[in-house]
Amino acid sequence: MTYLWLALAFIAAAAIAGALFARHGVRRGEAGKHWKAVGLAFTALAVLTAVFDSVMIGMELFHYDASHILGVKIGLAPIEDFAYPLAGVVALPGLWMWLTGKREGSGSRSSSSTLKGLVPQALLASRPVSWINTAYPFAAAMLLTTREIDWVLVVGTFYFLIPYNLAMYGINDVFDYESDLKNPRKGGIEGALLQPHLHRPMLWLAAITNVPFLVVLAFAGGPALWMSLAVSAFAVVAYSVAGLRFKERPVLDSLTSSTHFVSPAVVGLALAGASVTPGLLILLAAFFLWGMAAHAFGAVQDIEPDRQAGIGSIATVIGARRTVRLAVGLWLVAGLAMLATPWPGPLAAIIAIPYIVNCAPYWNVTDTTAARTNVAWRRFIWLNYGSGFLVTLIFILQWSFTS
Amino acid sequence: MGALYLVSLLLGITCMLLLDHRFRLFFWRDAKAAAIVTAVGVIFLLAWDLAGIGLGIFLRGEGTIATGLLLAPELPIEEPVFLIFLVLCTMVLYTGARRLLDRIPATRSEKQRERENV
Repeated sequence: MTYLWLALAFIAAAAIAGALFARHGVRRGEAGKHWKAVGLAFTALAVLTAVFDSVMIGMELFHYDASHILGVKIGLAPIEDFAYPLAGVVALPGLWMWLTGKREGSGSRSSSSTLKGLVPQALLASRPVSWINTAYPFAAAMLLTTREIDWVLVVGTFYFLIPYNLAMYGINDVFDYESDLKNPRKGGIEGALLQPHLHRPMLWLAAITNVPFLVVLAFAGGPALWMSLAVSAFAVVAYSVAGLRFKERPVLDSLTSSTHFVSPAVVGLALAGASVTPGLLILLAAFFLWGMAAHAFGAVQDIEPDRQAGIGSIATVIGARRTVRLAVGLWLVAGLAMLATPWPGPLAAIIAIPYIVNCAPYWNVTDTTAARTNVAWRRFIWLNYGSGFLVTLIFILQWSFTS
Repeated sequence: MGALYLVSLLLGITCMLLLDHRFRLFFWRDAKAAAIVTAVGVIFLLAWDLAGIGLGIFLRGEGTIATGLLLAPELPIEEPVFLIFLVLCTMVLYTGARRLLDRIPATRSEKQRERENV
């Protein structure tokens, strides 16, 4: 009997809510039609429930404590199970009519049309050409540790491929609107201008697409994982959100940006339960320095627009020339650090060379010629693919050594 | 580890969304309202599940078509996905039924008018 009482309690709550919603939400003269549609929908749901509940119980997906149910069954489905669709169909259409009716009445019907283009805009804003930069470190770190593909790897890789970038660049573009407007470079391969009316929906989209993944991933591990997920998510938000704006704080901007790419790898390692070795730490440190250099060099081309918009960065503060030299230095140290990792890690030291060669011509760049570094930065996007290729080869080599 | 149940649910959700898209019923009519209705529905039904689990009524099966992953004791990862499907199915049926009911009197009165004109 327990299940019956439980079901009746929830049905009562749903019925009261449904009646209230319908009273306020359904226009006069349409109440008959509303409840008729509810009846039709329940008839169909009841048939579906009888069939599929029986199938699901037959497949042993779930069962019931026999002492708690009445024992009356349709097929294999206990009669109490029909309470679920009944409660849903009694309450939810009323809520729907109330919400949509209110919307139409207040004349803000246009809200759906203003949302048009949000998803394509968000995808463009998320730099699909760079998606792999965050998904790869995660997938590689996890796969090399666990050596198997499980659901956590699939879910995590998808998360760091799309939703993560959606949040990172979406939030960034919302809070960067001012300076982007003055920057002709934005709007194509390197990011899109985001219309102001899409700002709020974009932030919602970022939250909705990220939070469920973070929660699901958090379930798959312990404190070390929670810490790395928290750092990762914080870096994504803190980089550009108003009030924190880490991207405008010299040095902290490069540190945060590098965290965007290294933290997925750390999350992957935490999910896989990797053991912390000196070699692994050196590898992560080298990766981190590489990321800092990439960010610092990328900031050089934006010196002018950033200054005009009153935005600070490592490059606007220490100047174009010193930033370029710092970046080259960081790549050099990253390459040298790889020499200290266990074989075949030292092979990865070679990867630093193309970056240094690509940027060294700007060794004597000035703030006025800083925009020219965009040429090198464009090559840089493709250079990353080449590096990814080399890194993959080294990983395969490492895999074959350790198996 | 079987994914058949989870995949079936996701396919079911996809089909509901295709119907929604084709006939502009729910999310494609008012995305914000639809999102609220879905969230409220899923949370309500999930609370019901948890109450049932707490009272010892609902027991997870050992079916081979389920992943076996649990969000909480006796609460498999498939359950919230199923609830999303149930809410979508309910709302597509309701909004679809409303669409049909709106049409019937219209065609009837049109026919009447046609007859009067003859």
